[in-house]
Amino acid sequence: MPIEYIRSVLGIFGESPFKPVHTHAEKGGEAVQKLQQSVKAYCKGDYMAVHTFDTEISAIEYEADIIKQTIRKLIPSSMMLPVDPNDLLSFLKPQDSIADNAHHTAHWLTLRETELHPEIKEGVLELMERIVKTVDAYEDMVNDIAKLLETSFSKKEIKRILKKVPIVEELEHETDITKKQLQATVFKYEDELGGTGVFYLISLLRDMGNIADSASKAADRLRTMILRR
Amino acid sequence: MDIFDPIILLVLVAGLYMAWNIGANDLANSMGTSVGTGALSLKQVVIIAGSLELVGALAFGDRVTTKIAKGIVPIEDIISVDPNIVIIGSLAAILAASFWITFATFYHMPVSTTHAIVGAITGFGLVATMFVDTFTIDQIQWIVLGKIVISWITSPLIGALMAFIIFTIIRIFLLARVDDPYKLEKKFGYLQILSACFVALAHGSNDVANAIGPLSAALSAANITEYGVIPMWVLAIGGIGIVIGLGTWGWKVIETVGSSITELTPTRGFSAEFATAVVVFGHSYSALPISTTHTLVGAVVGVGLAGGLAAVDLSVIKKIILSWVITVPVAALTSGLIFIILMKVL
Repeated sequence: MPIEYIRSVLGIFGESPFKPVHTHAEKGGEAVQKLQQSVKAYCKGDYMAVHTFDTEISAIEYEADIIKQTIRKLIPSSMMLPVDPNDLLSFLKPQDSIADNAHHTAHWLTLRETELHPEIKEGVLELMERIVKTVDAYEDMVNDIAKLLETSFSKKEIKRILKKVPIVEELEHETDITKKQLQATVFKYEDELGGTGVFYLISLLRDMGNIADSASKAADRLRTMILRR
Repeated sequence: MDIFDPIILLVLVAGLYMAWNIGANDLANSMGTSVGTGALSLKQVVIIAGSLELVGALAFGDRVTTKIAKGIVPIEDIISVDPNIVIIGSLAAILAASFWITFATFYHMPVSTTHAIVGAITGFGLVATMFVDTFTIDQIQWIVLGKIVISWITSPLIGALMAFIIFTIIRIFLLARVDDPYKLEKKFGYLQILSACFVALAHGSNDVANAIGPLSAALSAANITEYGVIPMWVLAIGGIGIVIGLGTWGWKVIETVGSSITELTPTRGFSAEFATAVVVFGHSYSALPISTTHTLVGAVVGVGLAGGLAAVDLSVIKKIILSWVITVPVAALTSGLIFIILMKVL
């Protein structure tokens, strides 16, 4: 008797796209953690390590891309989800940018060796710390999706998760302020840095800022997804 | 004529084969959700399904069986002319349904044994009008048939509505109020044992008829059993056949489908199963043969509509409707053809 002798209707149960969404968010967090190590190595002048981290972060970003594709495949038009599938996809996009932007930054770090002024160095490390905090808060929020689904969007759980969105947004705002201050600092040392040095650092800060910005955008999209349900 | 008449024996063997198919696939589908939620182990499900299916068939299977045996095609009108026609017709019907179910299963089409057997019986009835002068098309119980067909549409819808209501109650009064929803799920694991029992009981009461309906018709035509009475031993043949199907093949199907539905939690599983069981049991009481698995699909969609499931693949519904539309005419046509051939040969 062949194993194919099966007539089942239980294909009605689709595979949840929310589990891989969670794994996908974790990949972003992982990439940012590694980036922090890379930034620390850069400030110490350990450029070998910076290159190694770039390779590692690139691999993580690639894994995140694969997960994103898997999620897209899990939501064909015939799939009924508890949220609007378009909202889910528009939330996934900025979440994917977290790892993307971390990768951009990691790669940018490999392109130029720069001796940083202590004030800038301190600022970069502080900025990185704030980015990590923002992404951590973001991940904490995404962790709550499981419970939200389990209770089938109970008011209590909706309230709990929606409270975490402004936390991410607040942390992103602080990151942004730090970034702007640091950009001003860079121009303060423009003679010492030279045109190329200024360009390099300003671009670096912009790339770093984009990471926190993606987390904040994704948090906002998550809120939209839950409220529009 | 006695039970050892070769044609009666053939009806019996084909009926057992049909019962085997019901146990191997349909019962397995209905029970798969219990394994999927992790509420019950495979072994526990097989024991529960096997025993309660049998109880359901023996205690409550007679109404639907009577309906299939003589409710659509009034065989007494034919028996009075030539009982052999009913015996051969029963054989044609059960063979046609068996062929189609075997074919459809190999091609993974979600067809219902209920639809196949009702189509096959109707096909026999239609062709029988060519062989019995006193039996005309308007003697076929079209109103009964119409009610059955309507119940095929309404039963999944009622299943969906019931599951929607049950899950919404659980959601509002339990899931939204407890501090730890995962603890609640554990408790529902126990309740799911009850709902699984209920599903098996309901399934036995409705689906045993698909296997032994034609056999009962043949037996009463052959004067082996009293007309209009379905004896316990006939129900037992169907029930035991189904249990054998479950034990020899259905457990593998349960394992396969159970492992593919990992997203289902006990609260959701309970809601879908309980709604399915109530709907199927209600129809057994009203002597209406319906598809348990299609009702279960409706119930799952109901839980999904209540926001209970992370993903419900509605493409299955299209497949079900398609195979539904194909099954009835194909079974009717095959049954009619087999009947004509058998009448010429025998």
